[in-house]
Amino acid sequence: MSSTPNQNKVDQSINDGGHVPDDPLTDHAYDGIQEYDNPTPGWWTYLWIATIVFSFFYWLVFTLAPKDAGYATRYEIAAARDLKKTFGELGELSPDEPTLIAFLTDAEKARWLKFGESLFKNKCSTCHGSEGTGINGTNLTDDKYIHVKQLTDIVDVISKGRNNGAMPKFESKDLNPTEMTLVAAYVASLRGTNKPGGKPAEPNAVTIDPWPTNRPVSSAR
Amino acid sequence: MSDATIGASGASSGVVGGREGGNVLEYDARMEKFVYDDKIVRMFLFAMIGWGIVAFLVGLIVALLLMLPGIRQWCYDNGWVAMGDFLKTALSFPYLQFGRLRPLHTNAAIFAFAGNAIFAGIYYSTQRLCKTRMASDLLSKLHFWGWQLIIVSAALTLPLGITQGKEYAELEWPIDLMIAVVWLVFFGGNFFWTLLKRRERHMYVALWFYIATIVTVTILHVFNNIWVPVFGGALVKSYSIYAGAQDAMMQWWYGHNAVAFFLTTPFLGMMYYFLPKAAQRPVFSYKLSIIHFWSLVFIYIWAGPHHLHYSPIADWASTLGMIFSLMLWMPSWGGMINGLLTLRGAWHKVASDPVLKFFVVAITFYGMSTFEGPMLSIKAVNGLAHYTDWIIAHVHSGALGWNGMLAFGMMYWLLPRLYQTKLFSTRLAEVHFWVATIGILIYIIPIYVAGITQGLMWRAMNEVGQPQYEFVETVSAIMPMYYLRAIGGTLFLLGALIGFYNFIRTWMARPAVYEEPVHQALPLALATFKPEVKPVSKLNTVADVAKKIDVFSTMWFHRVWERMPVKFTLFVIISVAIASLLELVPTFVIRSNIPTIASVQPYTPLELYGRDVYIANGCYNCHSQNVRPMLAETKRYGEYSKPGEFIYDHPFQWGSRRIGPDLHRVGTKPLTEDWHVRHFEDPQQSVPGSIMPPYPWLMTKKLDFESIPARIRAMQILGVPYPQYEGDARGNTVADARAQAAAIADRVVKQGGQPGLEDKEVVALIAYMNRLGTDLGKPAPTPGEPTAPAPVQADANEQSDDSTKTEAATSSSLPLGQIQSGGR
Repeated sequence: MSSTPNQNKVDQSINDGGHVPDDPLTDHAYDGIQEYDNPTPGWWTYLWIATIVFSFFYWLVFTLAPKDAGYATRYEIAAARDLKKTFGELGELSPDEPTLIAFLTDAEKARWLKFGESLFKNKCSTCHGSEGTGINGTNLTDDKYIHVKQLTDIVDVISKGRNNGAMPKFESKDLNPTEMTLVAAYVASLRGTNKPGGKPAEPNAVTIDPWPTNRPVSSAR
Repeated sequence: MSDATIGASGASSGVVGGREGGNVLEYDARMEKFVYDDKIVRMFLFAMIGWGIVAFLVGLIVALLLMLPGIRQWCYDNGWVAMGDFLKTALSFPYLQFGRLRPLHTNAAIFAFAGNAIFAGIYYSTQRLCKTRMASDLLSKLHFWGWQLIIVSAALTLPLGITQGKEYAELEWPIDLMIAVVWLVFFGGNFFWTLLKRRERHMYVALWFYIATIVTVTILHVFNNIWVPVFGGALVKSYSIYAGAQDAMMQWWYGHNAVAFFLTTPFLGMMYYFLPKAAQRPVFSYKLSIIHFWSLVFIYIWAGPHHLHYSPIADWASTLGMIFSLMLWMPSWGGMINGLLTLRGAWHKVASDPVLKFFVVAITFYGMSTFEGPMLSIKAVNGLAHYTDWIIAHVHSGALGWNGMLAFGMMYWLLPRLYQTKLFSTRLAEVHFWVATIGILIYIIPIYVAGITQGLMWRAMNEVGQPQYEFVETVSAIMPMYYLRAIGGTLFLLGALIGFYNFIRTWMARPAVYEEPVHQALPLALATFKPEVKPVSKLNTVADVAKKIDVFSTMWFHRVWERMPVKFTLFVIISVAIASLLELVPTFVIRSNIPTIASVQPYTPLELYGRDVYIANGCYNCHSQNVRPMLAETKRYGEYSKPGEFIYDHPFQWGSRRIGPDLHRVGTKPLTEDWHVRHFEDPQQSVPGSIMPPYPWLMTKKLDFESIPARIRAMQILGVPYPQYEGDARGNTVADARAQAAAIADRVVKQGGQPGLEDKEVVALIAYMNRLGTDLGKPAPTPGEPTAPAPVQADANEQSDDSTKTEAATSSSLPLGQIQSGGR
């Protein structure tokens, strides 16, 4: 690399038992440090060029198709596909008593309680515990209720809230009717499971009639 | 003392005569005599090991802080109630909480440990590479003591919660000013003055890297730390002039390039000096030095936005961040290759010399992390790794492996030379090497496992397409890895303590008076040299353009630049400025990058105060505020974050790590005010398995209402619209904040919670929590009405509902009685 023909040699007085490569040297020396005149390694150069070429085409694609390649668009597509997959089979549900009973009694439909459970874990478990056994909120796995006399009361408590918001209200932006149905059905299904570690029933909680069905609810899960 | 020299004996060994262009000069009456200043190197080196131990110790403490909540639970479960209560009390101590100590750890590791290592290495090598003493002993001393003062200020202010809330730029504005003066005036001034006084015509590659370090860190520091201070009482506080997505771009332009120009370029410079010295071999390739230096300096700056993939910055910026990171892979490896291939023929010495062992491991870790960096910048990989411990493992393989091992290797090479005696114990240095290397592995391997586990668990969906795991399950799953990490960290600290002992014992064996060899060299003005000649291409059967490329590729012109420090520095500034301008300016001037959202309004005075509480306690160290546009995130947290939602966020708080869950949409979650109070009081009671520290003092610490007008005033200077608080009306902010605080405290009581919180910090924090992420779903304000936060009816159609959530329903124009007291 240096412009003058190179006659520099590595100091052969180095005698540390090792080999000193005999590559061409530059005429540089700084505080005793010398530099070889080696070219850059080929694999290094070609890999670098490869990353540059790849980057150029990647940039080109993402610049020519910014709408389709952007984060937001890709998300919207995925979300639409997911929605269809999830609810296409169910259709839109409304949280009325027959629908709730159907999810509690029909074994084919009961697998959707898993969806209700996921929503429950995401939205309710901070107060009711991930198993529904109660933390700040009440234990939902026993047989006693404060505000619930019939199945649809569960929907009412969830959507309107209770105790000045100690039980918050879940509006349509939090839970759509289908989700409301599934989470209410899941809560109903917890009744009587008496999971271990449950919070004792509140003093004003009372035992109510069984859900309107012919078989014990707990077996529906 | 034996100075390692290669080739003709250089001036460094005290021999009269210099080497110029390969010729040993004869004695000449015009020769100037000079002595190197090694005292300043000794001071910086001692500061390096001292602060290093502090940095590693604080790192170990923060690692333990993440384990203690689990240990506390174990105590309760096993009947050790008193011990459990003690741990709760210890964890509640505000000055020792993770959110405040983690910035202390990072600042100490980067600016105190690595900083002092850089200064020691630069002061030692620059004098020798320039054949001159540092230009000014006074500047050297001012630099040393100024820097230590900055470190002490950081150590005092960060635990007190005095912070800007920007990662690696936490230090508040008075310290920012000190940094600017000490770095640029004392250090930069001294260095460039020395360059100008040099007696070596050409600048060696190490000096190029030092130049890049000094100018770029100055630019980064100044532009990322532009703020409006808040002058209210004893507050030491400022708000960044940038907000939201723009602040994010600035911050990660800074954060990424702090890694580049504080932890990479100066260390590469040091590698180029100390490695060939220790190996006694010439550097592998001068040409590779040139190419990888300039490509590194030019490309690194572009890569910052890879820290912001899947965040509300413009897609084009994210794409640039990724591709420039990919193109950075080989330039980074150029440094590794030049290091490792310099060891050709000297590998047998690695077995016996701890210095070379440290260097080899350092360079290997450098190669690994500079492969991993580009890989992590690929959007799909980043989608898995971002916010997880994978990043923590990555930075520790860089910081402990590359910076730590290189600094220690340099220390062991310098000790006998600086203290002019034998190293106290080569054997102990070997022990240090092995303990540190094994420590790094026991640190990073479990944390890689933790990171990937976490990333996979966050995105795992069950058979009905909902998140498979609750967040706290993803925390509990990786706790065993946290225990292993603490063992690895302990070993690394232990290694440093062994090094410290070796240092002290070597120092104790120093001579009574240091020998100060006198060197001689011709001043540049008198030294003759042969100007570079443009070579002629030997190609003769090709087109002219091929000949030009052939001549260009000899890089003969670079040899010219190397004797022109001013021009060289200018070229470096241009290289880093191009990317900075091309990436940052569009973010600020192209409006479509940050589409405004009509319903997004400034924070109320109380919410702003709550935001400051959030920042002061370093909540951003564990909680992100950016829901990424991925199904796994929107199903867990809610709608993904939009750029327009952050336009009043000075500074942005997107965070970089999710030790706890994302909080951007926490305001839309069905969490009551009372739940928040109980959760702050003792998180483990509300969320079993949580590792968040308790904040009981939030419920007793008085809210400083009187400081609110000053905060609002600073925001108004920044252009945040508070038309109802202009001029004399600014005093109304206090009444409005009190009213909103009273309403929240009232709701807590109605929900069955504790009374008397209306003048405590916790209500401000709850106000902020409840506001977060809620503006998106609100109706836009009608034109003509005040555009600022009040009087906002949170939900006009739910006015009559007693249980409506109304965060913003407070204003001087609203009588207190009208403030809704509904809970959520």
